[in-house]
Amino acid sequence: MIITTKNYKQFLLLFWCSLTFTFSSVAQSDHTGKRRVSSAYAITNTNLFSSPEKSQTKVTIIIKDGLIHEIGPNPTIPSEAQLIQGDSLFVYAGFIDPAGDMGVSKPDEPNRPSDFDSSNPADEFAGITPYRNVMDQFDAKNSKIEEWRKLGFTVTQLIPDGGMLPGKTSVIVLGDPNNPNLLAQNTALSAKFTGARGMYPATTLGVMSKFREIYQNATLSSRHENLFASNAGLKRPAKNKTYEAFYPTLDKSIPIIFEVSNELEMRRAIKLQKELGFDLVLAGVQDGEEVIPSLIDANAKVLFSLQLPEDKASKSEPKEDAEEQAKRIDRVKESYEKSLKQAGIFEDAGIPFAFHTKGAKSGDMIKNIRLMIENGLSESAALAALTVNGAKILGIEKMAGTIEKGKLANLVLLTDTLFKEEAQIKHVLADGYLFDYDIKPKKNGKKENGDGDVSIEGKWRYTSSTPAGSSEGEMNFSKVADDYTGTITLDNPTGSGTLKPEMKEISLSGNKLSFSFEVNVQGNNLSIQVSGEVDGEEFSGSMSVAEFGSFPLDATKVPENAIKL
Amino acid sequence: MNKNIYLLLAGLILLVNAGFAQTKKGSVLIKNATVLTITQGVLENTDVLVENGVIRRIGQGINAPANTITINAAGKYLMPGIIDAHSHIALDAVNEATSPITAEVKMEDVVNPFEVSIYRALAGGVTISHAMHGSANAIGGQNITLKHRYGTFDPDDLLMKEAPRTIKFALGENPTRVHGRGKSIQPRTRMGVEAVIRNGFKEAQQYQKAWKDYENASKQRNSTAVPPKYDPRLQTLADILDGQIIIHCHSYRADEIYMLINVCREFDIKNIVFSHVNEGFKVAPELAAYTMGASVFADWWAYKFEVYYSTAFNAAILTRNGVVTSINSDSGELIRHLYHEAAKTQRYGELSDEEALALITINPAKQLGIEQFVGSIEVGKQADLVVFDEHPLSVYAVPQMTFVDGVKYFDINEDQDDQRLKVSATEMVEPIYLKEHDHKCMQDVDFFFTNFGRTLFGHTH
Repeated sequence: MIITTKNYKQFLLLFWCSLTFTFSSVAQSDHTGKRRVSSAYAITNTNLFSSPEKSQTKVTIIIKDGLIHEIGPNPTIPSEAQLIQGDSLFVYAGFIDPAGDMGVSKPDEPNRPSDFDSSNPADEFAGITPYRNVMDQFDAKNSKIEEWRKLGFTVTQLIPDGGMLPGKTSVIVLGDPNNPNLLAQNTALSAKFTGARGMYPATTLGVMSKFREIYQNATLSSRHENLFASNAGLKRPAKNKTYEAFYPTLDKSIPIIFEVSNELEMRRAIKLQKELGFDLVLAGVQDGEEVIPSLIDANAKVLFSLQLPEDKASKSEPKEDAEEQAKRIDRVKESYEKSLKQAGIFEDAGIPFAFHTKGAKSGDMIKNIRLMIENGLSESAALAALTVNGAKILGIEKMAGTIEKGKLANLVLLTDTLFKEEAQIKHVLADGYLFDYDIKPKKNGKKENGDGDVSIEGKWRYTSSTPAGSSEGEMNFSKVADDYTGTITLDNPTGSGTLKPEMKEISLSGNKLSFSFEVNVQGNNLSIQVSGEVDGEEFSGSMSVAEFGSFPLDATKVPENAIKL
Repeated sequence: MNKNIYLLLAGLILLVNAGFAQTKKGSVLIKNATVLTITQGVLENTDVLVENGVIRRIGQGINAPANTITINAAGKYLMPGIIDAHSHIALDAVNEATSPITAEVKMEDVVNPFEVSIYRALAGGVTISHAMHGSANAIGGQNITLKHRYGTFDPDDLLMKEAPRTIKFALGENPTRVHGRGKSIQPRTRMGVEAVIRNGFKEAQQYQKAWKDYENASKQRNSTAVPPKYDPRLQTLADILDGQIIIHCHSYRADEIYMLINVCREFDIKNIVFSHVNEGFKVAPELAAYTMGASVFADWWAYKFEVYYSTAFNAAILTRNGVVTSINSDSGELIRHLYHEAAKTQRYGELSDEEALALITINPAKQLGIEQFVGSIEVGKQADLVVFDEHPLSVYAVPQMTFVDGVKYFDINEDQDDQRLKVSATEMVEPIYLKEHDHKCMQDVDFFFTNFGRTLFGHTH
C-alpha cells in the first residue's frame, strides 16, 4: 500500500480504529458469558467413519480453528483443547444439504402500479427475480437452522423463496449461531415451474416459454455487451438485470437448480436443458425411475427429497363395494411401495444423488431414510447421499463431505452407528463450533405396548416455530374415563389476547400423541393437527396447518408442584 | 450386485435409447374383414398386412410372414383410426389465459401421458387427437398432434413427429370475455379481436425484417451488427406468415369467420381451419375457396349466445359445398363415440357412408396436414386401424380393437377395470370430473363473473 499525504490521515484513523478494536476485544470481559474458551477440541479414542467407504476405530481427532487439524491413533493434544470422550461415540462427516430453505423467508411483494398490465407484467411481479440473492431473505437466528443441525446437517445450499425464477442460491455452514457463515455466494440459479397468479406467465405453458425467452435473450444480450465493449459506434446495450443474472449459466460457471414436484416436471426441466444447454440440477426428486436414462443423457445432477408420501393406503379399509375398493387401495399401496424403492433404484442405476431438506419435515427424516434402506437403498449410498455426494454437487468436496485433515470441522457424533434404531446424536460440530444434545435413556420395550407408561395428564408448556415467528402457550390434558380432553392456549393470530380452543380427537397410542384444534381466522376455520412422541416429560412433534405446511412443536410438562406454586 | 455392472447396464440402456429413440411399431395380419378404406371404397372379405407399423399389402389370401400375429376379422369391419381434430385430452394445462396473444406457448410442453382419457379415446377407436390450447386468447398457443400410444411414461412418445405445426386462434365471446370484460384490455369486441390479430401479424412482419437485416449485416466481414431482441411470440406469428403453421380457429358466427378469412387473404395465409363453425353453413363457399376446411360439432349448440343460430345440417351443407369438413369432440366424453357423431350426418343431411366416415378420418387428417400418413387404409400409410363388430355408422357398433402403428393398444376382451398407468401413492380416490369438458376448453381461466358468468357464460367451447 502506498500512503500519500492525502490519505495518510484516513489511514491513521483506520489504523487507530483497528487497534482499538483489537485491544477492546481482548481487554473487555465477556459479559454474555457465551464466548468460547477455546476453538480447539479433541475427540479421543473414537470410532471414525471418515467416508462411506472407510472406517477406523480408536482414533483421536484434533480440531482447531474450525478445521480438522489432525487425525490419528495418538496425536499430540493441544493443551487448550476441550476433550470429548469418543470411545463410545461414532463419528461421521457432517451432513450436507444441497437444497434447503431453513431460515429463508419470502420477500414482500411489490405494490402494483395503477397502470399494471397483467398480460405483460414487469419481471418482479411475475416471480422473475433471478438477480436476487438468497442471503437477503435469510435469518441466521431462525429456529429451523437448529432443527436441521441437531439432525446432523452442517452445510446447506439455501434456495431463495419466490416465483418461477426466485434468485440465486448461497452455501452456508451451520456453525457460529451469531453469523450467517457464508461459504459461497451465487452458487446456482434457482428455477421452478410456478406460475404467477393472475398474470403472465400463469401456467406451466407460460413458464416454459418465458424461461426459453429469457435464456435466449440473455445469450443475445451478452453478445451485444461483448460487441459494445470492444467496438465504437454501437447502440448502447439496454441493461437488463434478469438477463445479466443468467450470464453465469450461459458459460456453465453455475448450474440451474430446478425444483420439481413430479416426474413430468423432471422431464420438462430436462427438455429445457436439452434445448438450451445449461448445467442442470434437479431438486425435489421423489420418483421417476423411468426418467433415469434421460437424466444420464442430460448429465443432470439429482437431489432427492427427504420427504416420502404418507402411507395412507395401509390404514384404509374398504367399506362399501368392498372388492372393487380393495383393488383400488391395492394400487395405491403398490404405488406407495414403489415410491419407497425409488432411492434404491436410483442407486442401482449409478446415479450419485444427494438428499436435500427443502420440502421435507425434519421429524420424518431418519424414519424416511430407514424406510428407503429397508426398500433397497444401501447404507453406504444413504451416507454418501447425506455427505460426499452433496459436497461434489456443490463443488465443495475439498472442504467438506468426508473427514480428512484440513477439511472443515463438520462432524456428527452419535451413540451408535448411523441408521441404527438406537443411534442418537450427542454432538454436532459445524465449522468447529460444538453443539451438545441430550441423550434420551434407552427406551424399554413396555412403552410401545400400551398406554400404561405414558401419562399426559396435566399442564404442558409448548413452543412452536413457524415462518411467522415462534409462539408459546400451554396445553392442558385431563383424563375422563379412558378418554382425554384438553385445551390449548395460543396468541390470537388476528388480534390481541389469547385463544383457548378445545382439543379434538386426542389420541395416545403407545408414546404417540396426536390431537387437533380449530382456530377461526377471518371467518375461516383453520384446522390444525398436532402429532408427535411423548418421552417422559418431553413432547416432540409437529403441528401441521392445512395447506401451509408443517412446523415443529415441542412441549415440556410443567411439574405438579410448579403448578401449585 | 456389483455397482460396475449396474453402471455398465445404465450405459447400455443409454446406448439403446440413443440408437432406437423411436416409438413401438407392430406387425399384424388382419384377415377376412370388410375393409372401409375411405379413399378406395369398401373391400369385402379382405386381408390387411401390417409390417413394422406400416400397411404393406391389402388383398385376399395373404399369408402371414413368420412371427406375425393373425387376427381373424370375419364378419367384422376394419376402418382407419379415427382422428379428432379438436381435443384437449392428455394435457396438464390448457389455457395460458393471461395475454390476448400467447403464440409462443406450446402444448407439447404439458402433455401428460398418464391421463386415462387416452385409453378411453382408444376404446372409441380414436388413434390421433389434436391436443389444443384453449379458446381464452385471440391467438392462443401452439397445438400438438398426438398419437395415442398409451402405456408410455414419456410424453415425447405420444407426439406425432411427422405432423406439421398448428396453432390455436379464437374469435368472439371467449377472448372478449376473458380480456375485455375480465381485465379491461383489448379485445373487448369482435372488432378488437380483429385488431389484435392484425396488429400481431404487422408486428411479426417488422420482427421478421429486423432479423433479416441483422442476418444480412452479420454476413459482412468484421460485422459488429447487434442482434435484435428474441421474441418467440412474434417469431411464431412470422412462421404463420411463412406458411409453416396451420391455424385452427375457434369460431361460431359467419361474420367473424368471414373477417378472419379476409385477414388471412390480406396476409396471404392459406393454412387455416375453422373449428366449431356453427354458422359455417352461411359462408360455405368462402370456406371452400379460401381455407383448409371446417371442423364442427354434429349437433351441439345453444350453450351461449353466439351459438344460437345453428343447425345439425351444418356438416352436410359444408360437405356438399366442397368444404373439407370434420367432426370433432372437444371433449373427453364425446371422443369415445365420434363414429356416432359422424352417423348423425346421415340423419341430418343424408351423407353417404363414405362421406360420413371421411368426417372423422381423412378429412381431419387433411386439416392437420397428415393425410399422406394416416386417415385411410392404403398401402404405405401408417397402420392406425380399428376393428368394429358392426358397421361403424350403426348405432350398435362397438370398437373391438384399436391399433396405432400396428401395435394393439385396445382390445375389448382384454379391457381391465382399472387402466390407469400411474396411481397416486396417497389418494384413495383421485378427483374425477363428471363432465370432462367442463374443466378443459376454458381450463386455467379465472372466472371473472362468478355468479352471473357461470349461468350466462359458464360454457366452455
